Amino acid sequence: MQLKRRPKVRDQLARLSAGLIAATIAAHVEQADAQTYDTQYGQKYNTRNDDFGPGIAYSQLDAAMLVYSEQGGRITAVEPTLELAVHGPKDQILSLGLTADAVSGATPNGAVKTDVLQTFVTPTKTAGSSYSVTGASGGSTIIKVPGQAAIRQYTVAAGLLPMDKGFQDHRGAFNLGYAQPLGWLTQFGGGVGYSMESDYSSITGNVHAAKNFNGNNTTLSLSLNTEYDTSTPFGGVPVPLAVMDGTWKTAKSKTKTQMGLVVGLTQVLTRNWLMQLNYAYDNQDGYQTDPYRILSVVDPSSGEPLRNIYENRPTKRTSQSVFWENKLDFGPTLTDISLRYFKDSWGITSKTAEISERLDLSSSFYIEPSIRWYQQSAANFFRNYLVGGQTLPSYASSDIRLGKFTSITYGAKVGYALSGRTELYVRGGFYSQTGDGHPADAIGQLKNQNLFSGTKAMFAFVGYTWNFH
Amino acid sequence: MLSGRDTLYVFQAMATPCEVRLETDDAVVAERVFQAVETETRRIEQKYSRYRPDSVVSRINAAAGSQVEVDSETAMLLDFSAQCHALSRGLFDITSGVLRRIWNFDGSNRLPDQSQIAALTHLIGWRKVTWARPFIALRPGMEIDFGGVAKEYAVDRALAIAGGITKAPLLVNFGGDLCVSGPRRDGSRWKIAIEAVDRSGAMEGLLELSRGAVATSGDARRFLLKDGVRYGHILNPKTGWPIEQAPRSVTVAAGTCLEAGMMSTIAILQGRHAERFLKREGVRAWCIR
Repeated sequence: MQLKRRPKVRDQLARLSAGLIAATIAAHVEQADAQTYDTQYGQKYNTRNDDFGPGIAYSQLDAAMLVYSEQGGRITAVEPTLELAVHGPKDQILSLGLTADAVSGATPNGAVKTDVLQTFVTPTKTAGSSYSVTGASGGSTIIKVPGQAAIRQYTVAAGLLPMDKGFQDHRGAFNLGYAQPLGWLTQFGGGVGYSMESDYSSITGNVHAAKNFNGNNTTLSLSLNTEYDTSTPFGGVPVPLAVMDGTWKTAKSKTKTQMGLVVGLTQVLTRNWLMQLNYAYDNQDGYQTDPYRILSVVDPSSGEPLRNIYENRPTKRTSQSVFWENKLDFGPTLTDISLRYFKDSWGITSKTAEISERLDLSSSFYIEPSIRWYQQSAANFFRNYLVGGQTLPSYASSDIRLGKFTSITYGAKVGYALSGRTELYVRGGFYSQTGDGHPADAIGQLKNQNLFSGTKAMFAFVGYTWNFH
Repeated sequence: MLSGRDTLYVFQAMATPCEVRLETDDAVVAERVFQAVETETRRIEQKYSRYRPDSVVSRINAAAGSQVEVDSETAMLLDFSAQCHALSRGLFDITSGVLRRIWNFDGSNRLPDQSQIAALTHLIGWRKVTWARPFIALRPGMEIDFGGVAKEYAVDRALAIAGGITKAPLLVNFGGDLCVSGPRRDGSRWKIAIEAVDRSGAMEGLLELSRGAVATSGDARRFLLKDGVRYGHILNPKTGWPIEQAPRSVTVAAGTCLEAGMMSTIAILQGRHAERFLKREGVRAWCIR
């Protein structure tokens, strides 16, 4: 059992061993650098957990609970989510998401504040209630006049923002996606989703492809998405700009179709700097009006409300946006700076700037404070109210989400890795909208009212991520 | 330059204590190095452990009889193992692990009988494996394991990964297979104790290392004893029996841990000629008999 080979075993072994390490370093380490960013920041469902390494199948389960609460008794939402991602040994990803929502509270109905008590009528949620019921329910009263359909009526005191307190809904949604490397493409995949509320349903679909270049330092991606929504409001679909009333409308539902595309470029610029540039185009066609939302028509001199009419929005909306994100690794801290510019055919332009800073306080504990600034201009059909005696515009809405405002979100995330494979995280934040409540052209009593209906909200997330086999 | 303080990090992986020693005062850098090394080590363990049903090795073994496509890293390790098989003239063989089914090195006197060994010989032999990168096919019942490679590979990978984070002097020691990045900051060498082969934990010798790796093969703790004959845990894949008259342990110094580990394994497979082999190869080695 002696070895009598001429070339020494030692020399050959030395060459083989050094060659193996050099080859694996060349094959892995560059990727590992780029992956570090992704796992620390990126979409965690699309990125592998480094703990498992390449070629190992594993699953990832993320359970989270979101609680969102607006100030002043407005919307409160509780949203549990469950996300499961199954990673195959050859970079296949199968993902499944389940979301449930319970939303309740009051939502501004679109009318202005006034110095008098206002009464609003809407259809009852159950058409043709056969009993004559009058009773307080969420601040509203069901009124049944024999021989006529029941109506729901609620009043709002002088000086208060009119809100419909009957707002309550549940939503359930699921998403299913699959992606894998395909031929020349680094990743190719698609997904479908369905979401349902009692008065709204939505079907979504997408296909996406990505290709890595330059030793995985550059990624080009393209995604196409589409959505088909059906709105089936309580009480039927109101006639646009018609006077609000409690009757059931004949039109029962309306639909909307959306198509969009996103082109993305991700570039590793240096070891410490990753940049992403996205361009998105979106086209929506169909019913985009809020069927519950009204506008006040006020007296041209006193500013007192004369009547309330249903809002109306154009059926077509196209938008374009550019998003630029930078992830910078300064050793103990990881900084994320992003800017976004958005413009649509309704006349809205918006700018967003966000910065977050992740500080790793230990190998298992990090904190990530963030601040986000957002400003948008108003849609060209946004009106706080309409003036009586003037020709009605074709489109009008008082939804503050279409108005001019600035918002700031302060947030912080705290994560605690219980092991390399489990993480407990808590995210909380405060969101505040500000805008002009006293426009110079306010009429009569409206001069004394703050017409801005923006909100302030708190939100909190508690989540748990678990990676397993 | 003054010698800095060593920061030591120890974790358990690959069924052995893993030690990372970094000569730095920068706790943040040290933490990053330790985390990167542990992550990488667990990755390799996960991927190549034969005890984990989801490992690549288990996947290949479970598919014995049919073809499995492997990733490039696994392919490189298979190529390396095949080359070591050739270099050792068939003594190092990643298919020999099936012998563990009958050889249980628990310090007892229970030896398997020849018929049990004969029943396994058709399952042993790298030449029975069809390996055409990236496809591997084992015969039904065959198994491979990277037991003689993975830990050493992990040590070398750890050093390489740490080197990408810091240039501070570093020692990586996974259960006696170790390597250092270079001399200590003051230019001195790292001092490494060679463990005695008995269970005393005493030191057999001390060696000093300024760069490269050291690995030990041997039966210090894993053997059978019958009729005064000691059967070490290193098995000859050609006979199915432990290598006779092998040194109790062979420690080899080399450029990389893979090289040192493989050299010490091949040396011990030479049995009573181990020392002669090492001398002829001109290897820095320490044998304990």
